[in-house]
Amino acid sequence: MNGTVKKRKAGVDGVKNFEYYKPKSLEEARELLLKYGEEASILNGGTDLIVRIHDGLSHPKAVIDIKGIEGLSEITYDEVDGLTIGACVTLNQMGENPVLLEKFRVLAEAGHTVGSCQVRNRATMAGNIANASPLADTATPLLALDAMVKVFGEEGETEVSIHDFFVWVRKTCLQVGDIVTGIRIPNYGSIEGIYQKHTRRNEVDLATVCATVIKIDGEVHIALGSVAPTPIRARKTEAFLKGKVLTEEVIEEAIEMVLGEIAPIGDIRASKDYREEIVKVLIRRGLRELIAAM
Amino acid sequence: MRIVGTSINRVDGVKKVTGALKYVDDIKFHGMLYVAVKRSPYPHARILEVDTKGAEALEGVKAVITGQDVPNRAGLYLEDKTFLATDKVRYKGEAVAAVAAETKEIAEAALAYIRVDYEELPAVTNAVEGLKSEAPLVHPDLGQYKWGPIFFPEPGTNISNHYKIRKGDIEKGFEEADYIVENSFYVPHIQHCPIENHSAIAQMDADGSITLWASCQSPYAVRKALSVAFDLPLNKLRVISPAVGGGFGGKAGTTLEGIVIPLAKKTKGRPVKLTYSREDEFVNSFVRQGMHATIKTGIRKDGKISAVKNTFIWDGGAYTEYGVNIVRAGGYASTGPYDIPNVWTDSICVYTNHPVGGPYRGFGMSEIHFAIEQNIDMLAEKIGMSPIEIRKINGLRPGGKNATGQIVDVCGLQECLEDVAKHIDFNRKESGSQPHKVRGKGIACGYKAPSMPNDVASSAIIKMNEDGSFHLLVSAQDIGQGSDTVLIQMAAEALSIPPQKITIKTGDTDYTPYEWQTVASRITYCAGNAVLKACEDIKEQLLELAQLRLGVSKRDLVLKDEYVVSKIIPGKGVAMKELALGLSMADGSGIHGPIIGRGAFIPPNVRNTDKQTGQGEKPVAFWTYGCQGVEIEVDIETGKIDVLKVASCFDVGKVINPKLVEGQVEGGIVQGLGSALFEELILENGIAKNPSFVDYKIPTADDMPEMIINFVENPEETGPYGARGVGEPCMVPAAPAIANAVYDAIGIRMNSLPITAEKVLKALKEKSSVL
Repeated sequence: MNGTVKKRKAGVDGVKNFEYYKPKSLEEARELLLKYGEEASILNGGTDLIVRIHDGLSHPKAVIDIKGIEGLSEITYDEVDGLTIGACVTLNQMGENPVLLEKFRVLAEAGHTVGSCQVRNRATMAGNIANASPLADTATPLLALDAMVKVFGEEGETEVSIHDFFVWVRKTCLQVGDIVTGIRIPNYGSIEGIYQKHTRRNEVDLATVCATVIKIDGEVHIALGSVAPTPIRARKTEAFLKGKVLTEEVIEEAIEMVLGEIAPIGDIRASKDYREEIVKVLIRRGLRELIAAM
Repeated sequence: MRIVGTSINRVDGVKKVTGALKYVDDIKFHGMLYVAVKRSPYPHARILEVDTKGAEALEGVKAVITGQDVPNRAGLYLEDKTFLATDKVRYKGEAVAAVAAETKEIAEAALAYIRVDYEELPAVTNAVEGLKSEAPLVHPDLGQYKWGPIFFPEPGTNISNHYKIRKGDIEKGFEEADYIVENSFYVPHIQHCPIENHSAIAQMDADGSITLWASCQSPYAVRKALSVAFDLPLNKLRVISPAVGGGFGGKAGTTLEGIVIPLAKKTKGRPVKLTYSREDEFVNSFVRQGMHATIKTGIRKDGKISAVKNTFIWDGGAYTEYGVNIVRAGGYASTGPYDIPNVWTDSICVYTNHPVGGPYRGFGMSEIHFAIEQNIDMLAEKIGMSPIEIRKINGLRPGGKNATGQIVDVCGLQECLEDVAKHIDFNRKESGSQPHKVRGKGIACGYKAPSMPNDVASSAIIKMNEDGSFHLLVSAQDIGQGSDTVLIQMAAEALSIPPQKITIKTGDTDYTPYEWQTVASRITYCAGNAVLKACEDIKEQLLELAQLRLGVSKRDLVLKDEYVVSKIIPGKGVAMKELALGLSMADGSGIHGPIIGRGAFIPPNVRNTDKQTGQGEKPVAFWTYGCQGVEIEVDIETGKIDVLKVASCFDVGKVINPKLVEGQVEGGIVQGLGSALFEELILENGIAKNPSFVDYKIPTADDMPEMIINFVENPEETGPYGARGVGEPCMVPAAPAIANAVYDAIGIRMNSLPITAEKVLKALKEKSSVL
């Protein structure tokens, strides 16, 4: 090669080059997000985003780190508003919170199954749901608990129901510029029941199917993950169970009903048939757990 | 013995746990260049044109190479590969071109500027299909390749080795049988998953000589293969393996080394580094070959197996330079550790357009035993005999004959079987921990020999320092198995010095002496013997000098606690360190000079087997026998299996370091467990669907069973202190024992690996719909 030839630059628009910002306020963050539009990504724990950038699945021009914004790293609780978990609270911090462990244990349990301990040192619940994976571990307890997602957007801080939050695979209702600032779980008299996650390997694995089956103040709530384009609530089954005593016959009927509410796919982790079988098992075990809890 | 047989701490332990040890990827040089590799998107295609001009014109790009830069074929046993594809690509991921640039980012970005035109070819994506006459040929030029005399490729087909065993009279054997049973099994491709990815750095000196730093198990074998590929004399090629973070066979041959060298030759002295990503590890390093097994067995009502006919068809992948020997090992071990008078085996290596098959802990034994050990249980059931009893009747014993007709000399198989049956409490049926869980127990035997050419060599140098400390130089590599520690222990024992007085140096072909390879569970045995011979050499020199100093005949002298002492006269002796530089005489003169011991070893009397029948008196250096039993629990609603307990017993001849050998066996069990329950590189039309830890799972700490690990010590006559290798054998029975336990628990035979929850549940459903 000839030294006098002016060489072209490789990677000026390199797939892994981006501007990094660490704003101090929500307003500043929003301004940046609006400036870059679809080409901006919010960086929180980074356990999804960095992997996607590394794998060439995301090519953001700007990465907006929200961890420098004050007030997003707290867990607060009061009897009126319930429990609010800031967007930047890590899953391991959640797992150590006494209120969460005592009053919303099902959520703490689900959060504890995300990734590995090292991942949970960085990953957040806000990120887990904003990623909108159909199998997000914290999604099913949040759905079952009728959580509210706190969003900083055009109209300042508002709340969106978790039921409106998930739109499709990897798609939420969030608009460009919107920032999830926290998740609020209403206060309840009593919560019984469990989160279950069926995996190929016990630890550090994605859910083949996951389910939250709980009884809140006497009403059964069922939420399932990895059985549809988004995590879902099994509303028809819940309606069927309303006011019924949970007998084995009722449980078996409920299981058949749940199968009508899901649309699992087959992929590298499991076939459609196997997912349906596991749904049956998780619902049966979840409902039996409620009998045991009484 | 005071040092051999004790659990001294690993000599490399502190450096490893503190992170102080430098692996290849930790090495950074001034002016170092980084490599990215352009890889084939097709499993099988003709390369029409490679245009690298666009990449070469980029700022920061220093060199670009293609297959034309590395035309020589290389390989360990069959020279069938080039380090970059030349005429064709034979698997998805094969290197077609490579770039060295100022940064990794520039190198990666440059790949987009390399244009490769392909003509896609029909691919062989199943080994059994690859045998058919109409199958596309992966290597049409096979007949022109070079191979070792113990391999049998069939040019004009996809067969790169057809190894045969013809023992006794197979037809007569079947005639004598009361039952004839035929069973088929399949073992998929899996990957080693070492914690350290492959990494290599090459640098060319001003005189044209090359230094290569590589995370490799076998610096000398790597040097030889690369010297052939690049026409480099061995004295102009230095291979350094500074540390290896796990190999399991995956770092035994050559992989990425052949890419960095041609780049280094083009970059005028600048070091060139390539480190594989985890995704590369799965597809672009070695994988364990897939294998289709069919076993037809004749058995008498009294439990004696009269004949066995094996067909093992191995999915060798795109290049089988190493794989042909796995197929050979699978052939000569094809009966498992059983004494069967009539044997007919065809062990066939088939080229496919899959990732390159290569050495993986077990070297074919895990694959064949998955079939053999389930087959034995199925035969036992057929004649109403217990799995223990059938193994007692047919299992090898001293005086018996194995598949090659070799008469068995030392063999503790029966003792191992008894020990395991006792510790797993085999005949006791346990009930499940919950109503939807059932328990099962399974047992499997296994054996393995070092699968290596007959005359492979080892050597050791031990140098005495002025203060009575020593440097032990070998090229046996500590890849986690603990060889640094046990070789020191053996030398310390031989020289009667504390192990702390010996420092071991390994892995530098310019400075540490020849070792064929760190593979085949051969290091304790082969390198150990070389070390003992080097110690003998030192001892001889010390006794010679001490005899002059002390005036005592050397046959009455002995090394004891860092002294040469008289066996007869108490208190008469000389400190070894006083002789370190030779002997100073009374008149002020000196003789001899520094004490340096040299040792060399080749396993004695290992001879070729007959080409037609595979029969021979001593085809291998030694056999290691053992047995494992497992207890599992199956969730019959989800199909999920938990391995609760494993009992293991191997005849290792002599335990050199109890703690280390227990660790070895624990690792083998858990690796076997992973292959049994989770692991498969899923290949669809030649494309790997799960080349990452997201969807390729290996066991975690949470999956560890309770492990009861015992040993039998029937000394190996030619082994150092009677020791033989166990690093690979301890993985071999794990997967079939689990499969046998699955049958015990739920009455279902799992004929293929891995035994996933989904497979188990599907089989349970099918079974209940039949009933």
